[in-house]
Amino acid sequence: MTTSHDESGVPQPHPPVDPEELERLPMEERAKIAAEIDGVRIVHRRERFPVPGTKAERRAERAVAACFLLTFLGAVAFTLAYVLIPWQYDPSDSAYTWFTPVLGVTMALALVGFGLAAVLWAKWLIPEEESVQERHEGRSPELDRRTTAATLVDGIAITGLPRRSLLQRTLGLSVLALGVVAVVPLGGLIKKPRDDLFRTGWRDGVRLMTSDRRLVRPGDLQAGAIATVFPATQDGLTTQVVADSVVLLIRLRPGQTARARPGQEDYGWQDYLAYSKICTHAGCPASLYEQQTGRLLCPCHQSQFDLLQDATPVFGPAARPLPKLAITVDDEGYFVARGDFPEPIGPSFWERP
Amino acid sequence: MTDDPSTGKGSARRPRRRRLRRRLSGTLALALALGAVGIGYSTVAAAAAPPKSAVASDAPAEDPIELRKGRQLYEQGCITCHGKNLQGVQDRGPSLLGVGEAAVYFQVGTGRMPVARQEAQVERKPPRYSEEETLQIAAYVQSVGGGPRLPTGDLRGDDSNLAEGGELFRLNCASCHNFAGRGGALSAGKYAPSLDPSTDRVVWTAMLSGPQNMPVFSDNQITPEQKQAITNYIQSLKEERDPGGSSIGRLGPVPEGLVIWVVGIGALMLTILWIGAKS
Amino acid sequence: MTTPTTANRAEKLADWADSRLTIAAPTRRLLNKVFPDHWSFMMGEIALYSFIILLLTGTYLTFFFDPSMTEVPYDGSYSLLRGVEMSRAYDTTLNLSFDVRGGLLMRQIHHWAALLFVAAMTVHMLRIFFTGAFRKPREINWLLGVTLLTLGILEGFTGYSLPDDLLSGTGLRIAHAIMLSIPVVGTWIAYAIFGAEFPGTEIIPRFYIVHVLLIPGIILALIAVHVGLVVKQKHTQFPGPGRTEHNVIGERMYPLYGAKAGGFFMLVFAVLALLGGLFQINPVWLYGPYNPAQVSAGTQPDWYMGFLDGSIRLFPAWELRFWNYTISPILWPTVILPGIMFTLLALYPFIEARLIKDRASHNLLQRPRDVPVRTSLGAMALTFYLVLLISGGNDIIANKFDISLNAMTWWGRLSLIVLPPLAYLITYRLCLGAEQHDREVLEHGVETGIIKRLPSGEFIEVHQPLGPVDEHGHGELEYAGSPVPKKMNRLTSAGRRVRGFLAPVQDPTEVQDRSDTERALEEQVESGERRELAGRPRDPEL
Repeated sequence: MTTSHDESGVPQPHPPVDPEELERLPMEERAKIAAEIDGVRIVHRRERFPVPGTKAERRAERAVAACFLLTFLGAVAFTLAYVLIPWQYDPSDSAYTWFTPVLGVTMALALVGFGLAAVLWAKWLIPEEESVQERHEGRSPELDRRTTAATLVDGIAITGLPRRSLLQRTLGLSVLALGVVAVVPLGGLIKKPRDDLFRTGWRDGVRLMTSDRRLVRPGDLQAGAIATVFPATQDGLTTQVVADSVVLLIRLRPGQTARARPGQEDYGWQDYLAYSKICTHAGCPASLYEQQTGRLLCPCHQSQFDLLQDATPVFGPAARPLPKLAITVDDEGYFVARGDFPEPIGPSFWERP
Repeated sequence: MTDDPSTGKGSARRPRRRRLRRRLSGTLALALALGAVGIGYSTVAAAAAPPKSAVASDAPAEDPIELRKGRQLYEQGCITCHGKNLQGVQDRGPSLLGVGEAAVYFQVGTGRMPVARQEAQVERKPPRYSEEETLQIAAYVQSVGGGPRLPTGDLRGDDSNLAEGGELFRLNCASCHNFAGRGGALSAGKYAPSLDPSTDRVVWTAMLSGPQNMPVFSDNQITPEQKQAITNYIQSLKEERDPGGSSIGRLGPVPEGLVIWVVGIGALMLTILWIGAKS
Repeated sequence: MTTPTTANRAEKLADWADSRLTIAAPTRRLLNKVFPDHWSFMMGEIALYSFIILLLTGTYLTFFFDPSMTEVPYDGSYSLLRGVEMSRAYDTTLNLSFDVRGGLLMRQIHHWAALLFVAAMTVHMLRIFFTGAFRKPREINWLLGVTLLTLGILEGFTGYSLPDDLLSGTGLRIAHAIMLSIPVVGTWIAYAIFGAEFPGTEIIPRFYIVHVLLIPGIILALIAVHVGLVVKQKHTQFPGPGRTEHNVIGERMYPLYGAKAGGFFMLVFAVLALLGGLFQINPVWLYGPYNPAQVSAGTQPDWYMGFLDGSIRLFPAWELRFWNYTISPILWPTVILPGIMFTLLALYPFIEARLIKDRASHNLLQRPRDVPVRTSLGAMALTFYLVLLISGGNDIIANKFDISLNAMTWWGRLSLIVLPPLAYLITYRLCLGAEQHDREVLEHGVETGIIKRLPSGEFIEVHQPLGPVDEHGHGELEYAGSPVPKKMNRLTSAGRRVRGFLAPVQDPTEVQDRSDTERALEEQVESGERRELAGRPRDPEL
């Protein structure tokens, strides 16, 4: 007995089954009928071991049992490892480095055992089966469609909304208004972009210092050297200030001359130059300096800046040269900035001229 | 999985079992043979390679016998490209005046010099000269043109400097050599090499001499104490075992992505094929 | 075996539930649901199971992690960082890795599961695409799937940015630059999200809430709808004997399918546990805390963001400047391009349906070779994506294989333009060839490898016909959308091969020539209950 369809494709109900009669049938038959009620026809079922109690069946059962045992053993090993293996960091004894790998392997064994057991049980012990189920898809039966439509339309008609234009308009207005009320509090997140996009921590007279707070003199750098420097202010090493003020101080090799754009010819000091370290492409610190070629490579997206040509980008996706910091040496012999950068540092943004 | 327990056919099973066993044992034998050859070769090759340059005695700077030997070695192996008076030869080799012992120790000690061919960057290779000869050439070059000297004494310092060394390493070195000193690419075929084979002295002399495109880090810029810290950090990282399993190169997310696709998805695809197969 | 008392107890419990919920029939219906059992249908499960594992391991991590950006000096076990100033987020991540027993394992399983989650979704999506499972009536599920993929990628990005280490912090810097690049409102968006100029002190706590509450909540809900739709619309199936547009042939949910699915969950978990223990991932203690002045060579995001890293590396330095305004070059590769890619991806079912004017419902899948245009378009898109992905790691590839970095960049730019059309052409020809071969074998039979010499002296290869032949010896079977056997041991119309995965478990002589399913359905045809046998729908309306 299958579930058949009439012309409109409506599934016909299963002929009634008496629950008491069902009880008298063997379990397999009952399940088959149950499936048929759900439109599923079990067309093929084959016991893996039609003759119960064979050696082969016992072997299969033992294999599944062994997998469950593997889970047990894995779990025990996991627990023992968790408790017994040294796990604390110890620079002088690397035994602790076994902790995580052993835990991972024992956990995996415990899980694999169960997983294998379940799959092998299904493959070797549960009867092979193939069923066919009818789909009841596509458009709903005509009656259902029309009755649903009628219910919806009648419901709306009863409210009188279609003919009450005043209510329509005010309803629409109030829904919009509620939407606005829901969204407006997010305004707390909005902050006006301030001019710190156009400013850094450098000012006229601010000295250069290294990451260990040492001021920088000429002579600290050899020819062909590069140093990362920060504004020598109290907060000069904080993350917030470093993020836009970090500078690369380079000393050219003998024989290297640097070209500067008009108006910035005096920004360097003798054979020293200072550029913003923040790449103008996406903001990574551009810090791979090739002293022989004078190129500065940014490791993120491989923009290459020619520091001898005003830090102009010569390869890669960066479009603007690195801003140059005007430096000089003060009376005590320390490097000092002569002002902030002449342009915004870092990646481009809309308001950047 | 070799046998389907539901079939009772004993005689059909046996030839199949024999075949499978033969295939397995054959594969195993081949694997063992390959492994043995591989291990044997690498042992022999390692034994045949010249010993890594250990930190040697103090630089024999002023000993005239050493200087003369150094000059002889120089005139045999270096003069063609670097000139009789170390002034350099056009299109062949730069001047060595002022490069100092440090530069010579680095270049010759790591086998970069003598250079095999002109290319984007000189490569490290098994050194041509022994440690003693390297120091002699270095002493000679130092005596002619001066320059940064060889570092001596304790090159690592106390372990309390490790954290500072790490910070300095990340600020000055990691951008080229990667966060764990595994090396990285520079422009147009150049590269910052992996620091794996570098001894303490090689690290110091590299910082002091700024070989090829590496910037120079003089003692005024990175003090000797700071160099100790950086060296200690580099070597400690190398010695440290990874607590999370195989480090897959310490190269970051790229090998991690490779592993998830090859090992993770690979293993699971095989599992899916097995589960889905009719049995 | 259940004893009478256990059975009684179970009955009592079932009765208790049913009296309150009336669940007997729905339960039975669920247990009897039929699922087709092709292996390629299990890839979505990998994504589902890895998501569950992400929830479990992630909850554990939240017990120890503090997303604050307040700076503290490190005072934990890892001596190489002792005394270093770092955010609480980084500090607590180090704490998890070195001072919580088993914490590192949890971190690693969590991160590997994240990579697997997105990889599984990708593989699953490719299967759906290449077999046409996205066609009507399943376009909604396709849209849900693309949304889930996007959310998964965002979830991963917010997740790996939480430790505030040097690698992910650099990624945050780039994300900030991407926001800045948006015209007119870019700086406002960046300030709103970061709360200040980069980096501010708000971004990690905000990412934390997005990562542990907002996105997982949405993903959970969408997964429920996604799987619910599959249950309601029933799974698609490949054409084959007895399979029509109106039925599903396979296994019932309970017990067979459920046992295999449950077992598979354990196996996925096992693979993740193995990865989490044996392969180190995201070793933040080696990267160091985030410092905007520092960066490592070989800085990449997790693999599923790699294509964006590639696109931003390859895109030329084309910046637009006019009046007092600038449009950054990174707008196009990181905002516009992924926007176009994901929009095309989402709309593909509708685009294809419109182009080939197909308004019919489809429950039968298509073999990729049978839709050469779609398959070739897919190959083209995949090639484009792979070039971008590879270019995302071009500096590591350049270093490891001694290739010039500049050359890798130029290779990427050229390949992006040249390789996809090439992939299209090659795939198209391959599909056509495969289709032709199918029909050739249907017509001329399977090559047996047996060479025979005719009395005339001519050598021929004996072919085994697949079905009845006409007077010219040509087969009369039509192609029906299911695989055509090409080898002698795949014969029988069901393509039923000799069983066994690692080794054969059957004697070839034992293999049945027709499955019971086909026999049963054949009876129905004969009795007039069924109109069709092959996999082609006759009624275009249905």
